[in-house]
Amino acid sequence: MKNYFLRRFIYSLFTIFLIATVTFFMMHSIPGGPFTREKPVPPEIMRALNAKYHLDDPLIVQYFDYLKGLVTFDLGPSFSKIGTSVNDLIKAGFPITAKVGFFAVLLITVLGVSVGIISALRQNRPIDYFVMFMATLGVTIPSFVLATVFIFVFAGKLGWFPPFGLASPLGYVGPVIALSGYSLSFVARLTRSSMLEVLRQDYIRTARANGLKELSVLGKHAIKNALIPVVTYLGPTIAALMTGSFVVERIFAIPGIGRYFVESVSNRDYTTIMGVTVLYAAFYVLMVFLVDVLYAIIDPRIKFEKESG
Amino acid sequence: MMEALNFEPATAEEAQDQELLRISLTYWQDVWRRLKNHKLAMVGLIGVIFVILFAIFGPLFSQFSYSDQNLDFANTPPRFSIYRVADNPDYNVFLTRDYKLLHISDNGTILNRLKLDDKDVINKKYTYVDGDKSVLLDFSYNLLPGKEAEYDYTFSMNGAPEVIQPLKKVSNRLYPFGSDDLGRSLLVRVMYGARISLTIAFVASLVNLLVGVVYGSIAAYEGGRTDNLMMRFVDLLNSIPLLIYIILIMVLVGNRGLWTLTFALGSVYWVQMARLVRGQVLSLKEQEFVLAARALGVNRSHIISRHLVPNAIGPIIVTMTMMIPSAVFTEAFIAFIGLGVSAPMASWGTLANDGLGGLMSYPYQLFFPSLAIAVTMLSFNFLGDGLRDALDPRLRKG
Repeated sequence: MKNYFLRRFIYSLFTIFLIATVTFFMMHSIPGGPFTREKPVPPEIMRALNAKYHLDDPLIVQYFDYLKGLVTFDLGPSFSKIGTSVNDLIKAGFPITAKVGFFAVLLITVLGVSVGIISALRQNRPIDYFVMFMATLGVTIPSFVLATVFIFVFAGKLGWFPPFGLASPLGYVGPVIALSGYSLSFVARLTRSSMLEVLRQDYIRTARANGLKELSVLGKHAIKNALIPVVTYLGPTIAALMTGSFVVERIFAIPGIGRYFVESVSNRDYTTIMGVTVLYAAFYVLMVFLVDVLYAIIDPRIKFEKESG
Repeated sequence: MMEALNFEPATAEEAQDQELLRISLTYWQDVWRRLKNHKLAMVGLIGVIFVILFAIFGPLFSQFSYSDQNLDFANTPPRFSIYRVADNPDYNVFLTRDYKLLHISDNGTILNRLKLDDKDVINKKYTYVDGDKSVLLDFSYNLLPGKEAEYDYTFSMNGAPEVIQPLKKVSNRLYPFGSDDLGRSLLVRVMYGARISLTIAFVASLVNLLVGVVYGSIAAYEGGRTDNLMMRFVDLLNSIPLLIYIILIMVLVGNRGLWTLTFALGSVYWVQMARLVRGQVLSLKEQEFVLAARALGVNRSHIISRHLVPNAIGPIIVTMTMMIPSAVFTEAFIAFIGLGVSAPMASWGTLANDGLGGLMSYPYQLFFPSLAIAVTMLSFNFLGDGLRDALDPRLRKG
């Protein structure tokens, strides 16, 4: 088991390294430097700028500098926000994004799983149809539509929630709903179908035949097993939440990391794009690793399959 | 010994046993029969056909093209209240949110815009003229202190008594979905956006299909170290947040054309297809018909393309059907953060992005593109679910 985790961990580190490398060479293959403007910059200033940011070094030297920076968690200065480093941007934005993301994950797991279980237990009853209808709607409506409709109806027409910002706790409601909409629906559907699958198994019938109380049949035997596929989906969920934050933070004017990323994309702020990409990728790889570990712990079958395959 | 003596003619009854009682169905007839019984799938199929027809033929029936502008008729909603300011001949007007006065016919066709002649900002009275007619707009009612009325504004033509009640609500005949901030028909733009969005989705899915099928089948058929190496690479791609990479590719290429986006989408999402095809081929390649083909000396590429892939076609089609809506979704997402096709081209994502700015005043500009996305997503999802059940009943989900 330990061996497996170690191997997975080294593999994750290698993935992050590869992502960083690919991102670096992708960004450096763009014609023109970060200081290319419509109005040409005088050559001496250009030279000074390039020297300041070490852009006149050979590419391979820059690459090793960059790797060194990554290892020491120094992502370099931002090219468009003069005087701030990418680290500053991340320090300012990440906690906010993480907070909203945390509430979204909480909503997804608690509400998604419970709604899915209820729906499975009441299969083909009105409540099941209602849940499935909402869940189907949820996976077909893009997050930006959800967010704008929320602002339009609840912030604009009814005035129940602030239309932007996180100044009051109520401000979290909209972003969290918009962010979790898709994954929430997906988790509800996934939980329902895997719960139905489990309820059909022989061991559930055996448990019932042995006279176990319904509550312990469900709690001890059914739900535990039904949640295994849900756990695997948690990794991709976190990815969906991160990328979802690009849109949601823009609409709700939240100064999180997603908004910085979108801004840096439109400003062609290469160091920020690179830094945030690597951060996101590393975070994602880490989450996938954690989910894998969690997975192997809950379901011993998985490990052997992977070990042999 | 085979001699005529050993045989006797079959009786009529026995002969009848040999006859087919039921028409034998081919695989596809059987699929179609099952699909027809799946109500939601049929709804999805109709939706898909409708969206495709809408995209292909819709723009042909319109007098406008997607880039025709008319600033005079900008931001007109799909339905509006008209006021009759004169009888015999009837003269109806509609006041837009940005205080443009439009002359509307009885059935809702926008005829022309009245010229703003005089602006009395202090008393909140504007005068509009159209030839010898002049309309006085008084919108001071709920804006100035001391005046409180049930209506917000009144019209009066050539000094006639004030009109306070709208005549009726009519649908916009000129722009059924309303017009955008440059006076372009939103209906035509949504139809045109359907072309762009669907083209991107179809082509990207096709690229995914090709790459995924070739990659997956080769990996599975070769097996051993090749398979291991190829699948490690897929695992690696799978552990990367791909959307960020699409964004990076879009930033890199810089040119916001249709094909850049298609290429970006097509180049990263084949991983799922490759895994699926590999799984299918792995189980198929041990079967006797493959052994038979090998024994007959059929070469590798032939075995893959003629024997293995066609037998895995069911799950491939299902995955493909599910890939199209997710490509539409991803395209909309990318367009929404400002990396979509450049103006005056429009996809559903860019239209939604454009509509966001004026959400409070012109919600319909966001509503229609979003509706189009949602309808497409729903239709393809329903169809995909139905196809999964119809193509391979073993995969049926509870």
